[in-house]
Parts: sequence; structure tokens; C-alpha cells
Amino acid sequence: MNKVKKLFLRWETILVLVILVEFVVFGTLNPKFLNIKRLFSGLNQFVPVCIISLFVTFVMITGGIDIQAGSIVGLTSIMVGVLWHDAGLNIFVACVLSLVAGALCGALSGFFVAYTGVQPMVITLGGSFLYSGMALAVSNMSSNAAYQGISDFPAAFRALSKTELFGAVPMQFVIFLVLVILSYILLHRTNYGRKIFLCGVNVNAAEFSGINTRAVVMSTYMLSGLSASIAGVLLTAYLGTAKADMGAEYTLPIITAVVLGGTSNLGGSGGVIGSALAALAVGFLRIGLSLNGLSTQYLDIPVGILLVLTVSFRFAGTNPKLRKLFSRKRRQKMVGGS
Amino acid sequence: MLKKLLHSREITAVAFIILMFLGVGAINPAFLSPGNIWLCLNSSVVYTVVAVGVALVIITGEIDVSVGATLGMAAAVSGSMIRDGQPWLLAIGAALAIGLAIGLINGFGVTVLKIPSIIMTLGINGIVRGLIYVYTNGKWVENIPFDFKNLSQGRLFGSITYFYLGAILLIVGAHLILTRTKRGRYMAAVGDNIGGATLLGIPVDMTKFASFALCGILAAVGGALYVSRVGFVTPIAGNGYEMKVIAACVLGGISLTGGVGTVLGAGVGAAIMASISRVLVFIGFSSNYDDTITGVLLIIIVVSDALIRRRAVEQARRLRLAARTQHATDGEKGAAAHE
Repeated sequence: MNKVKKLFLRWETILVLVILVEFVVFGTLNPKFLNIKRLFSGLNQFVPVCIISLFVTFVMITGGIDIQAGSIVGLTSIMVGVLWHDAGLNIFVACVLSLVAGALCGALSGFFVAYTGVQPMVITLGGSFLYSGMALAVSNMSSNAAYQGISDFPAAFRALSKTELFGAVPMQFVIFLVLVILSYILLHRTNYGRKIFLCGVNVNAAEFSGINTRAVVMSTYMLSGLSASIAGVLLTAYLGTAKADMGAEYTLPIITAVVLGGTSNLGGSGGVIGSALAALAVGFLRIGLSLNGLSTQYLDIPVGILLVLTVSFRFAGTNPKLRKLFSRKRRQKMVGGS
Repeated sequence: MLKKLLHSREITAVAFIILMFLGVGAINPAFLSPGNIWLCLNSSVVYTVVAVGVALVIITGEIDVSVGATLGMAAAVSGSMIRDGQPWLLAIGAALAIGLAIGLINGFGVTVLKIPSIIMTLGINGIVRGLIYVYTNGKWVENIPFDFKNLSQGRLFGSITYFYLGAILLIVGAHLILTRTKRGRYMAAVGDNIGGATLLGIPVDMTKFASFALCGILAAVGGALYVSRVGFVTPIAGNGYEMKVIAACVLGGISLTGGVGTVLGAGVGAAIMASISRVLVFIGFSSNYDDTITGVLLIIIVVSDALIRRRAVEQARRLRLAARTQHATDGEKGAAAHE
């Protein structure tokens, strides 16, 4: 009984319920929402955010924050394009090189965060300027005009997103699921994952117990950079165009997904399953609302409200004055109930 | 006096902007013409006003990333009211009311609901940005009357615009309030040590509330100035300003941990941020590299600052240790005592 209660109180369970409610509500409002093919094709746009939020979770568990991931998406995308179109490399070699570049970008920021003690927010802010600027510089190397981007990619590359498993599940989504499993094992089932949590709980204690905290912190930024570049490659394959400004508006949805998923921005607690579910919940919310006629430009409103509401539920409990107000009510209710 | 000046954090930013101007002047003397220097400074007016507001929030130890959307919303509302022939004062009043409302919402979320400020203001930024689309229907606000646009061109002695003069007065006023009045000093106290401030009986929550409200109002002022300077408002007006302005504050020596820095630094940082794209043009680069240079500068300045500071702390500790263990020579003792 207790176990069931515990399971029910888990944040992840609540997120699953939220997703179910979304399906019921949007499904009744517009039956198209329940069409699997349509649902997945809507989700395709959002899969990059889901992927990045998995690994930004790592960063936030160490107590940091990563607001540069969006700019790495753009940099990766345009790098794939320029390496293939202008440098004449094989498209998959270009992809691998771009993934390496994304990981290096993340590692560079991670190095500064871990080894100089500057706040992660400042470093990744600088990083977001730097990498989006670099993306522009790279796009200027191309013979194509920057606003057009680079398109006409070979079919083998586009197949990365066009292939559908079982005739319905797009490849991107499969990659996302694989990454969920990988990141779950990495964070919750390995030594390395325990070290990440310990760095977030108390970095000094972690240092004294012999953990190379700096390397651990740096590696989380590297992973999030790598995930951003995976997202960049997939997005390029899906849209069929490489552009420097892709992913520029991802910061809000990424942080929303991670925080909504139950990861504390102060570090030390959280998990990737929560982030994955929250990212999906946000994605379904966007699809559902746009299917019901809300234009995409307005979608930041519900996402923002969702973010503010969830965190206010979580944090309002830490305000002693509000707590007093509510505990009095609860006590009255308990007295009345008994 | 001179020592105090050299120890202040803004001096790095001031030295940097002077060196930057001189360096670019050496490559292209046309850059150092008074007209061009005034152009650089005058063009930084929107950044400056918004940066002062964000500086207040950062000094109290919080952060506000909703100023970009606040600016856009204020610009869209005041711009469309002026276009429709409403009195200018009413339009600007409406803009300020919007800024105040957004600031109060942020303050409520951070102080009452205890939401971390980065998350609260990030969410509000998204919401307000969406509301701009609702308000403008995704259309541009154009056809601002010439008279209103002309306001931004008014110059004193043909050099400094009245707008920038006002911004400088704002900086000086805010600096005096922050350093000379009780309530102003509360801000740095709250940002420096919130527990200590609470124990001293400083109204911590009210101080944070006030800083968010002022930040919202100043972002709205920035929006009104934006309308006059740019002459049209797109739905994405002010997009990215929040990041540029935080970068300006950091360049100006304000620490994101709170309690450290002054609004003077924010002003200098804003001038640097606004000058970078002109600098690039004058040394023959495309202004496309604007963001790259900003990012590199930000990281270099912040990292070198952190390293210098850490070294200073370690040196001071070593000196103290040496003095205590009595193996120190007299000279070092003197230096340690001087510490």
C-alpha cells in the first residue's frame, strides 16, 4: 500500500497523468490529435528540445545552468551544411565533425565554469554569444546567402529523419528514446552519475571524498554540448536546410522541460526520466494547442505559464509565511475530517 | 583617493573602453572624430537605461531576463498609441504602467512564491513575448509621427542627445541613491549577504520587490526610447536585449552573485556593448562578427577577473599565514599589517 502511495506521489507519475490528460482533452477537442502519424510529425519539430533537455538535466544537477545549447544547435546545423556543400566532404563525415565541434564548444564552456569558478550563467551567456556568432561566421564562408541557408541534402542524410519504424515511429523519436535509456543508465546507474549528484549536493564534500569535481562538472557541459549538436544534426536532416540561427529560441522550452521534470535548479536532485516526460508534455501541449488553431507565435504564452505555475507550486512551500497560511487551513480541515 | 579609484571594479571597464577607442583610432583615425564618439555614446542610450534597471536587480542578488520582452511590449503599446494620435504623455504613461506591472509580477514570483528569479523571469519573458504577438497581431507598428521620432535627434551643443544626457543623469541619480541613501544601501546589503541583512532587520523582500519594479519601469522607458530612436516596432523588438544588457552589466564589473558593482559600471558596459559593432565596421570587419566579439570579450574579462581575484585572495592568505608563523621578514609583516 505504502509503495503504491509512494509511486503515486512521485513527480514522474504526475507528469504521466498530465500527458494522459492532454491526450484526453486535445483528443476530444480535435480527433486529429489522436492520429499517430500526425502526432509524431508534430513532435518531430520538438524532438531536438527533448534531446537537449536530457543532458541539460546533468548540468543542472551539478548546480549549473546551460543557456548556450540553442546556439550550438545553430552552429552544428550550419557546420554540417558548409562542410558538405562548400568543403565537399561526405555528409556523414561532416556530421561527425560537427558533433565533435559541438562537444568541444560544450567542453570549452565547461572548462571555464569548472576551473575558474565564474558563475555558469555568465559563461554560458558568453558562450551563447560566441557560438551563435561563430555560426554566422561559418555561414559567411558558404557560397549560399546566409538567409537562404543550405539545402538539397542527399537522400541518405534526410533518411535520418524520414525513415519510419513500423510505418509510424520516426527515426528521430527512436534516437530520442535510445538517448533517454543511455542517459538514464549514465546518470542513475553508474558511478559517474553518483558523482554528478554529489557535486550538486555539496561540491566540497565531493572534492574531499576524492572526486575530481572539476572534471565531472566540465564533462556535464560537454555532454550537453554534444546533445545540442545531435539535435542540430537531426533538425537539419528533418528540415532539409542548414541555417545559422536554428535553435535560437530553444532556451525557454529547454529550461522549462528540465525544471518541469523535477530537477532543482540549485542542484543535487532530479532525473532524466522526469525531463523526458516533461519535454514530451510540453511538446504535446504545443501540438494540441496549434491543432486547435492557436498560432505558433503564441505558444510561448502557455509554455511560460506552465513553467511559472509548476515552479510556484514547488517553491511556494519554502516561504514560511505562505506555509503558515496553508497549514492553518489544513489543520482545520483535518480537525473537521476526524 | 587614487588608490580607491584604481581598486574600483569599474576602472577595468573604463580603461578597456578608452583603450578600445584609442586602438581603433590608431587603425582608422576617423573613429576618433568627436562626431563618431558621440554617435557611439548616443546610440547606447537604450542599452544604458535598461542596463541600469537590470543592474539594480543583479546587485540585490537576483536576475531579470524578462527585460527584452518588457521593452518590446512597452514599445509596441506606446508606439501604437502615438501612431493613433493619443497624447504622448498618455502613451508613455501606459508604457511605464506595463513595465511596472511586469516588474511587480516578477517581484511577487521571486519574493512571495520563492521561485528562482532566472526561471520566473524566463517564463515571464516567454509569456510577454507571446502577448506582444496577441497585441500587435504579428504586424509591425509603423508610421510613428515624425515629431516623435525627431525627439531622439535633439542635441545639446550639437553633440550629446537629450536622451543620452537624461540617461547619464539617471545613472548619476541611481548611483547616488544606491550609495548615499539608506534604502539604496539595502540593495547591496541584501545582495551581499541575505541572511545577515535579514538579521539586521532590513526588509529583504521589499527591497527585492522594489528592484524588480524599478527594473520593469526602466525597461519600459527603454521601450519608449526605442520607439523614438528606431521609428517602428516589430513583434521581435527587444529580442535578445536581456542577454546583451546582462553582458553589459558583467562587463561593467557587476557580479552576478550580488552585492558587488555599481550602476556606473553598467553604464560603461552598455557603452562598450553599443560601440562594438561600430568598432568592427571601422577596422574593416563585417558587423556580423558582433556576437562573436561580444562573447569572447565577456568570457575573457570575466575569467581574467576571476583569476586575478583568486590570486589576490591566495596572496593575502599567504601573507597572513606568514605573519602568524613569525617566519616572515619585517617587510612582509608590514605588508600583512597593511592588509
